[in-house]
Amino acid sequence: MASNLFIVVVGCGRLGSHLANRLSRAGHGVVVIDRDEQAFRNLSAEYSGFRVEGDATELAVLKQAKVDQADLVIATTRDDNVNLMVTQVARAAFSVSRVLARVFEPTRKPIYRRLGIESICPTSVAAELFLESMAATRSLEDSA
Amino acid sequence: MEASCGKEPVLIVDDEKNIRLTLTQALEAMELDTDTAVNGEEALAKLADKPFGLILLDLRMPGMDGMEVLRRVRQTRPDIKVIIITAYGSIESAVEAMKLGAVDFIQKPFAPKEIRGLVTKVLNRDTLQAAKAKGYGTHIELAKKCIQQQQFEAAQEHTRQAIAADATRPEAFNLLGVLLEMSGNKLEAQKNYRAALALDPTYKPADENLSRTTGLTAGGGISLGR
Repeated sequence: MASNLFIVVVGCGRLGSHLANRLSRAGHGVVVIDRDEQAFRNLSAEYSGFRVEGDATELAVLKQAKVDQADLVIATTRDDNVNLMVTQVARAAFSVSRVLARVFEPTRKPIYRRLGIESICPTSVAAELFLESMAATRSLEDSA
Repeated sequence: MEASCGKEPVLIVDDEKNIRLTLTQALEAMELDTDTAVNGEEALAKLADKPFGLILLDLRMPGMDGMEVLRRVRQTRPDIKVIIITAYGSIESAVEAMKLGAVDFIQKPFAPKEIRGLVTKVLNRDTLQAAKAKGYGTHIELAKKCIQQQQFEAAQEHTRQAIAADATRPEAFNLLGVLLEMSGNKLEAQKNYRAALALDPTYKPADENLSRTTGLTAGGGISLGR
């Protein structure tokens, strides 16, 4: 990853705050958006980025967060549809070159792909890792 | 991106650690010598010790607020360049700060590129005085510099010369509007903002200034334009 990017993270829950902390520590400029001010408590003490309290589905909030300057927008809210909308707006209205969205529902992935939005599906990822782990265990037992 | 001409040291004054960190990181990439202060008192103490060329100053701080720091700084260092850091939508003191010679503002949040661009521009402003050929752009920059040094008559003169050089561009009218607004004449200021927009309807700074003074948008800074 290039150094010193400007990254906007939408949603300051467990995933969003974790990403924000790590990215900020890596030296990138980070802005976190969340509707709920309490969510910013998830950020570490060393977090050196900005916080914007507001609804990311509103253009004004995205403008305030300077999404137009972002190299990367990551949508991590709990709602797939919000994540889809935010990343779409970031690309279409603000010409952000790279957008990433968390998608819980695996069946939605093709839709996101068609819209040119990179998505990470925790459900699919966890399933793969579980299955790999089971296969590894089984082969260990077989060779025992 | 051109390097800063004067590599004068920069003092960052903000009570928030994340702002101090972000700014230090951004400016160090420009090979500038930076120092930080957590409040007004520390800022004034450090200013007395070292010949800083530029201060990045947050207006809202607990204890001695940014305006008070600015007032005191202007007494001992009228020449020092100042960039004001404001929170989103909270620039009521913009006019006050401008009267004290702060012409440049940056609103949180900002991308590293934004602050670097602004710092470069502000640090480079001095070299314009050496420019022999006085074109429109030069007059505009000199006008802004005069506002910064509280030489308002000189600023007005430069703005007039800019208009004489090219009456079809919006920047000078926007600056005239700003000067009028600062002297308390909001109606005349708005006429000039409208004149700027008549020349170029896409000229954002005049649009922002007009919206702000007509109360269409809540908050917002005084836009001098690039």
